[in-house]
Amino acid sequence: MYSTDPFKYGKRLQTSDAVVFALLGLGIYGLIATAQRWQGVYQPDFKMDLALSALPLYGLYSLFRAMIAYSLSLSFTLIFGYLAAKNRFAEKLIVPLLDIGQSIPVLGFLPGLVLGLVAVFPKTNIGLELACIIMIFTGQVWNMTFSYISSLKAVPTQLHEMADNIGLGRVQKLLSLELPCAATGLAWNSLMSMAGGWFFLTVCEAFTLGDKNFRVPGLGSYMALAIEQNNHRAMFAGVFLMIFIIVFMDFVIWRPIIAWTARFRLSESNESLHSDIPFMSLLLKGSPFFQRLIDLLNTVLIRAGNFRIKDRTSTPNPLETFIAKNPRGQRRRLKKLIAYFNASKFFQFFIIAALIVIGFVIAGKVYQLVETLHWNDWRDIFVATSFTFMRVLAALLIASLWAIPAGIWIGLSPKLTRAFQPFIQVGASFPAPMLYPLALGIFNAMGLELSISSSFLMLLGVQWYVLFNVLAGAIGISQDLRESFRLIGLTNRTKWMKLYLPSIFPALVTGWVTAAGGAWNASIVSEYVIYQGHTLKTRGLGAMISEATNSGNFHILAACLIVMIVTVVSINRLGWSRVYQIAETRFRFER
Amino acid sequence: MMSPPNPASTISPLVELQNVHQTFKLSSGQKIKVLKDINLSLMPNEILTLLGPSGSGKSTCLRIMAGLQEPTQGKAKRHGHTFDGANTDIAMVFQNFALLPWLKIFENVALGLEPLRLSKDEVNERVKRAIDLVGLEGFEEAYPRELSGGMKQRVGIARALVMERPILCLDEPFSALDVLTAEVLRKEVLNLWISKKTSIQSIILVTHNILEAVSLGGRILVMGANPGHIRIAIKNDLPYPRDEKSGKFKELVDNIHDVITESVIPDAPEWVPPALAASVAESFPPVPMNEVIGLIEMVCDQGGRLDAFALAHTLMKDSVQILLMAKAAELLDFVDTPKNAIVATDLGRRFARGDVNTRKKMLHSQLEQLQMVKLLKGKLESSEDFSIQREEAIQLIQDWLPNEPASVVLDTLIQWCRYGELFGFNADKQTIYLDRGEEVGEG
Repeated sequence: MYSTDPFKYGKRLQTSDAVVFALLGLGIYGLIATAQRWQGVYQPDFKMDLALSALPLYGLYSLFRAMIAYSLSLSFTLIFGYLAAKNRFAEKLIVPLLDIGQSIPVLGFLPGLVLGLVAVFPKTNIGLELACIIMIFTGQVWNMTFSYISSLKAVPTQLHEMADNIGLGRVQKLLSLELPCAATGLAWNSLMSMAGGWFFLTVCEAFTLGDKNFRVPGLGSYMALAIEQNNHRAMFAGVFLMIFIIVFMDFVIWRPIIAWTARFRLSESNESLHSDIPFMSLLLKGSPFFQRLIDLLNTVLIRAGNFRIKDRTSTPNPLETFIAKNPRGQRRRLKKLIAYFNASKFFQFFIIAALIVIGFVIAGKVYQLVETLHWNDWRDIFVATSFTFMRVLAALLIASLWAIPAGIWIGLSPKLTRAFQPFIQVGASFPAPMLYPLALGIFNAMGLELSISSSFLMLLGVQWYVLFNVLAGAIGISQDLRESFRLIGLTNRTKWMKLYLPSIFPALVTGWVTAAGGAWNASIVSEYVIYQGHTLKTRGLGAMISEATNSGNFHILAACLIVMIVTVVSINRLGWSRVYQIAETRFRFER
Repeated sequence: MMSPPNPASTISPLVELQNVHQTFKLSSGQKIKVLKDINLSLMPNEILTLLGPSGSGKSTCLRIMAGLQEPTQGKAKRHGHTFDGANTDIAMVFQNFALLPWLKIFENVALGLEPLRLSKDEVNERVKRAIDLVGLEGFEEAYPRELSGGMKQRVGIARALVMERPILCLDEPFSALDVLTAEVLRKEVLNLWISKKTSIQSIILVTHNILEAVSLGGRILVMGANPGHIRIAIKNDLPYPRDEKSGKFKELVDNIHDVITESVIPDAPEWVPPALAASVAESFPPVPMNEVIGLIEMVCDQGGRLDAFALAHTLMKDSVQILLMAKAAELLDFVDTPKNAIVATDLGRRFARGDVNTRKKMLHSQLEQLQMVKLLKGKLESSEDFSIQREEAIQLIQDWLPNEPASVVLDTLIQWCRYGELFGFNADKQTIYLDRGEEVGEG
């Protein structure tokens, strides 16, 4: 930061610069292509070309949508996560909103976004593209924000006191203390968020709303069309490109970032999942151009850090001075009065009032939509909900049956962990709906009806959450305890029942909660599937939501969404939080 | 060799606390009073030490003076005026160093200058000087994890020095270090202050180590707990550097020992009218029973008599902790505690000789004689299924021992009674139940 050696970059450009330039070139090309597409004349139903030669550009479009959505997610996280972590009042508003947002499946956002944004930009594709990006954003953002809030809250008090004692301003504190502390969690969650964004890509890029078809050019819409037309070659090509994009992102972006954030861990131990330096980091280290770029960024950040919003000690509170000027007897009364109506309270009051008004407007609109529904409709919705509920439970059960033993088995051996991790990561990031046609082919051959097999379709997407968490838990099983169990000569059964399962339990619960949320969301694509050009559907809440969106029946859609939000949030709040508490108090090792 | 000039009454204090009270609210809604009516002031050119057991609120005092904590009641003043936010006259050194592991030593120290927006050259110069002062030359490019504890604390001190503030606050700065390192660093801090090479006019030191307090402090404020209060202020005019072996030094240490001992083990218990005596419940020192048993064994092994402070020294434990253990053993009639000594009673000797079962029986019957245990047992026996909720027990303790933290007392009580197989505790249901599985003793 403080060294000024003009020769440290090396004088000439290196070969690794070529790679950096190539990546930059790709980025610029993608930007131009995206900009042209946005500027283009409004074309809601893009004529897709299933030829393989068209695929790379589609892939680039999708990659850019996901990246723009990710930038939005990151900005949202940094702003609202900070507010929620720093201000109790904001926390009380933001956390429940995040909870609700998380429980709304992407189709819930779709009609409002598309109709609204297309109305704002009727001439160009901007509206439709924005709607698509925001839909991807709703699949990414929640876990990132939750992780950021919990990281900020976990910054040790002593470090906060140190920063306050030195007199760091808010921005300086954020840059030098809080962001570094949150970096590791943020990096891992970014990786998961990207996966969450890919999941509904086929839905986000191609959908039907009432009598209108919408389609934007991209990998998701390509896959959707290939599935519709039952074009096997295109399907395989799409799957292949998706895997390529995931591996490419992992290699070029996530691995270097995760390796870089490892330095910001507060614990001083050196152990890490990725102990070896990723190839890309080495490459970037060897690129003078990249280093120059980073240094420039650093300087800008330090400048920004030196910019102080407000100095608390030097500017006296005008209210305080006002009080001090008044005669003694009145001071107390004045103080009380002002304390009651002080600025932040007034602000809070304003926000609450605004939220109440907005809440009433939304409730009114929703009521108008729902009012017309017959009692029978509600009955159908509740029956459908219980069907979906059973499917979610079944998916969790099956996921647990294989992922718990597998996760423990892999996690206990560092060798296996290293070997399997890349595959698990790709598996978890791959959007399962793209594999549904293949899976359905197998299930049909086995004679399973969609009513049953949709549970397995859910499983395809959510089993990874269970596996991932169990794996992380198993890696953390105390070495001392394992050795002592072995020395005592306890049987395998005892080891599993008394050591492994209890040790992974807290992590497993986290996995279950995430998986259950994912399964509810995934019901919209697994209970209503396009297979060999036909639409297959079964009774369930997800199917109802999909059908209501397709047929433009916003009355049913609104009712279904309300039921889903209430169900998911209350299961989280009442059910999972209890289990979580047990896990935290009974099975957490003290560190 | 020099001694600090006496603070004259006309000089205004650098920082002071006036009638400060502090209450913390627990997440359970329970309020805990940690400070009660604290008045203290730091004069120019002095080392003020706050000495007391854990829980006496000395760190909280420090935080209020540094403006990191706002008092519930009362005022913190800087040069006679109240202030908002952090007190920029104070540079803090923390018990666990508070270094950022991702910054190099140079950058960690330079962090102290960040708010000043100095030029690069100035930063370089000031950081270099601070690093030289604490003897860290050559480690500028190292990361904290590459340093030993003592070296890390040097970085902490350098970061405080680099800010060039008039007051240095040391919050248990040496207690995370081994004995030798602590001693070396103590001397260096003292030399820094005496040499006047730095901006530091005065030092506030928070510690639970009596020797440390006496070897550094010009004024020693002895604090008591529950809630934290200042018991006594002791002036220490011995010239620096102080010789720990000198008679006067030892005398002062002994005096302070006595003050602390008095509060922990009252030699002459306050006189209580006989009628009331039976209804007064004892307070429980919060120490685990296994440690108390360990103490009894150790005393008996050493011929039945031990000096509490010598023991604290050999075990490298906080002497207050040893005294609390002794008090617990005394409560059960296993030892006596005349002055600073711990003497085993006949009962104690028999206990130490006994096997596991004998011990259980003896512990059982001794515990049964405690007022609080009797009360709890009565309540348990009168309940339907011989068990009560934790909350009920806490209520009972609050009624009888209103000045003590009820949940801590209860946890101690449960831990002891589990050893004596009197009561059990079901952590799932949060209930306390009568241990009737194997009735032991004459109970």
